[in-house]
Amino acid sequence: MPWIARTALSILTLLAAAPAAASQTQESEETVLSIPFEKYTLDNGLEVILSVDRKLPVVAVNVWYHVGAFHEQPGRTGFAHLFEHMMFQGSKHIEDDAHITLLQQIGATDVNGTTNFDRTNYFETVPAHHLETALWLESDRMGFLLDAMSEEKLENQREVVKNERRQRTDAAPYGLAREAAWQALFPLPHPYFGSVIGSMEDLDAATMEDVHNFFETWYAPSNATLAIVGDIDVEKTKELVEKYFGSLPSRAKPQAPVVEDVALDREVVIRMDEPVATLPMVIMYWHSPRIFTEGDATADIVANALGTGKASRLHQRLVYEKKLVQSVSAYQYSLGAQSVFGIQAVARPGKSTDDIVAEIDAVLAELRQTGVSPEEMQRARNRFETRRVLGLQRVGGFGGKADMLQSYNHFLGDPGMLAWDLARYEQVTTDETRAFARDVLAPDRRVVLHAVPPAQGGQGR
Amino acid sequence: MRRLLLFAAAALLAACATPQKTRESQVKEDHVSEAWRHQRPEPGEPVPLKVPTFWRTRLDNGLTVIVSERHDLPIVSVDVALRSGSGADPVGKAGLAQLTYQLLLEGAGDRDAAALDRAFADLGTSPTLDAAADGGYVGVEVLKENLDAAMALLADVVLRPRFQPASFQHRKEQALSALAYQVGNPTYLGFEAMAATLYGEQHPYGSPGSGTPESVTSLTLEDARAFWTRAAVPDQAAIIFAGDIVPEQAVALAEKHFGAWKGKGTSQPTPRAPTVARRSQIVVVPKPGLQQTLILVGRPGIEAGNADEYALDLANAVFGGLFGSRLNMNLREDKGYTYGARSSLDPRRGVGPLIAYTQVRADVTGPALVEVFNELEGLASRPISEEELEGAREGKIRSIPGWFETVGALASAGARLFWLDLPLDHYQRLLDGLQNASLDQVREKARAYLAPETMQIVLVGDPEIIRTQVEPLGLGDLVVREPPTMVGTP
Repeated sequence: MPWIARTALSILTLLAAAPAAASQTQESEETVLSIPFEKYTLDNGLEVILSVDRKLPVVAVNVWYHVGAFHEQPGRTGFAHLFEHMMFQGSKHIEDDAHITLLQQIGATDVNGTTNFDRTNYFETVPAHHLETALWLESDRMGFLLDAMSEEKLENQREVVKNERRQRTDAAPYGLAREAAWQALFPLPHPYFGSVIGSMEDLDAATMEDVHNFFETWYAPSNATLAIVGDIDVEKTKELVEKYFGSLPSRAKPQAPVVEDVALDREVVIRMDEPVATLPMVIMYWHSPRIFTEGDATADIVANALGTGKASRLHQRLVYEKKLVQSVSAYQYSLGAQSVFGIQAVARPGKSTDDIVAEIDAVLAELRQTGVSPEEMQRARNRFETRRVLGLQRVGGFGGKADMLQSYNHFLGDPGMLAWDLARYEQVTTDETRAFARDVLAPDRRVVLHAVPPAQGGQGR
Repeated sequence: MRRLLLFAAAALLAACATPQKTRESQVKEDHVSEAWRHQRPEPGEPVPLKVPTFWRTRLDNGLTVIVSERHDLPIVSVDVALRSGSGADPVGKAGLAQLTYQLLLEGAGDRDAAALDRAFADLGTSPTLDAAADGGYVGVEVLKENLDAAMALLADVVLRPRFQPASFQHRKEQALSALAYQVGNPTYLGFEAMAATLYGEQHPYGSPGSGTPESVTSLTLEDARAFWTRAAVPDQAAIIFAGDIVPEQAVALAEKHFGAWKGKGTSQPTPRAPTVARRSQIVVVPKPGLQQTLILVGRPGIEAGNADEYALDLANAVFGGLFGSRLNMNLREDKGYTYGARSSLDPRRGVGPLIAYTQVRADVTGPALVEVFNELEGLASRPISEEELEGAREGKIRSIPGWFETVGALASAGARLFWLDLPLDHYQRLLDGLQNASLDQVREKARAYLAPETMQIVLVGDPEIIRTQVEPLGLGDLVVREPPTMVGTP
């Protein structure tokens, strides 16, 4: 997206700060977190979610199109995200480049669009009296984008996105290393291969015809959900939604592609020169359970015990005891088709990535024996609970209340799954974490990447 | 104020004049005939602006307590803020403040680093800390029911840090390792070079807060102890509470956990204002083979409380502060040179920097730099229009409530008030100041502070491309500043 587009790579860091869940503490067993909402569907198939929050005189408008990199055609990696950029270039009744400028001029905050593997979202938080302007802008690009599309705009945004790719991947520390590890995990033709940002070649190959087809297929009202959260009058808002979105022509809800799960049958080891960063890095990736399916919550708990905080297992062993690494993290990146469990460690100067891998493996071997202890588990639940309550502060933006409602709706078909989501963590047992470490985090079904700067001894391939 | 009232009147008229269409008639219409879509909707009646408010008192020991109430959720953000930050690093000891603040979490009271981490985790939180130019803080965000226990831990961290030799050595090694990472990062290299260019390396704002390999290598445990002895005194400290708490509760908690804190100190001196010089050179930080060039263009800006702030803030918004700014629209949306270009103003206790920056693909380094200067010159040749100003003004004013949705943002704002000696009604003054800045003032500040000949240039990228493309532009002689090198293994 525009100002700070967020692709999958940046979402990784955000997930570490805002992931799932929480439990009730013993004292407050009866208070269950929930977000009040109302959901309905327009005649043209557009889903609408309304939620009142009067804390501040602001309203979040947030549209999810149920299309992401997963739905791209072969040879068009990066297209869903390039298309997202085109949505900010004006539409029939909105001048080119007016969208963000106008929103900023009326005092909007959290104006952005983001594309990930499973969906594309667009959002803005506006002063409450400007709600109608936000609906006017969102409805126009949902209904009339192609009327204002041009080759020049596509060329311009193609260049912007290629710059984004340089900034995030080619010229960023470890950008190429992360991409290489990811591609080894999801080889073509898996649609996750392109890492959302896509390749320069595929970006160059995108045509106006692609833009038209993508819009006609995936940006149908029936494939979108509009959430409005904040200081609103529900009845008046419904009238406005009907006015701006109700007459947009209905198109069939598209069918998502059927993609076979991929699996590794061995350990894939990649050694590469790191061209930008000055310290070596190790990346480990495993395939893990899909978002909100069995094992997904277990993965969050395991990631927390391994990598969150100074007392976590990887931190204690690699940072404090062995003094091998500058930083280490573990995370479950929950996705719609297949999730990814990752461990990343940045070496201290002069330290060997092979030694780091050996120490990570020692920690994992121990976890397969012990599992996550009840104390570790409770700390994880406490952290998740606090994070989730803190997450309720923002009506919009990336990961705010509107995104939470949308996420449950997108993956589970019901925006009201917060309590269910939190309860998942209560049920995870030590045995399950042990089994997860054994069956999912297997040493012989993973990608291990060593990225070593030439000045740190180069790297063999 | 006048402007907003007019705005309200226009909105009311519009509301009367536009009858709602019925749904049936809309559906029957062809889209082509939905002429009303051409018309931007009139806003509703403006909602009253809500700026963050702060309450303040001082305890008998001199400790400041600041409270900003927000009761919709049972959460509180609490920061212990001190008026010593990286600007207080002694000459040659850049990085001392950051290292010392980080050392706090390596053991305090009865707990070592892991035990401390577990104790915070039991409360569902991890503490955060930072040493900014004018001050530092350590704080947490917790459920209200955990606030008292979290305060007890924070009191250990601030009043009873262990400062053990092994922990110091660990932190120092980590800091050097982090620097070994940073010296490969174009953004670090660029801002480090710009700070040195604008202020000189001896100036409190002239080095990065994380220090340099050389300065951090020289740090000792005694340096950290001495820093903390000077910094951690109650009359140079504030506890900022934001969230579901009232002043009486805040004062009681502050008294309970920090009431016995003793000592007196002096405020970190206000850094002297740097001279604003005409540019004679272009600083080049070589990064051979880099696919993008980082362009930084900057000069000393203003100190907090400077009367020019509001007009300059608006001028900067039009120039490069917003997505729709002249700079971004030119370099990104028109030329496609970059993913984004912006400029920012950072008022501090002393004169803070005003810096525009963008990363462009390497082969357009020269043309992109030309466009940055075209936009700077454009502030004189194409003066900011009434329309540009009103857009920036309304946007800035109306976005204030949205910036303060979280208790964390409120607490950070409270800490900034304390560090910069800003009045409690700072945000109301900001509102008024933005409201009242005239077009003439905004144009004048744009020309004065963004004059092209006073803007220093730093480029990080492939030296050969830079030489070929930038030397012919006549913007100054190229001077190479090698990236800092690591001095031995820690």
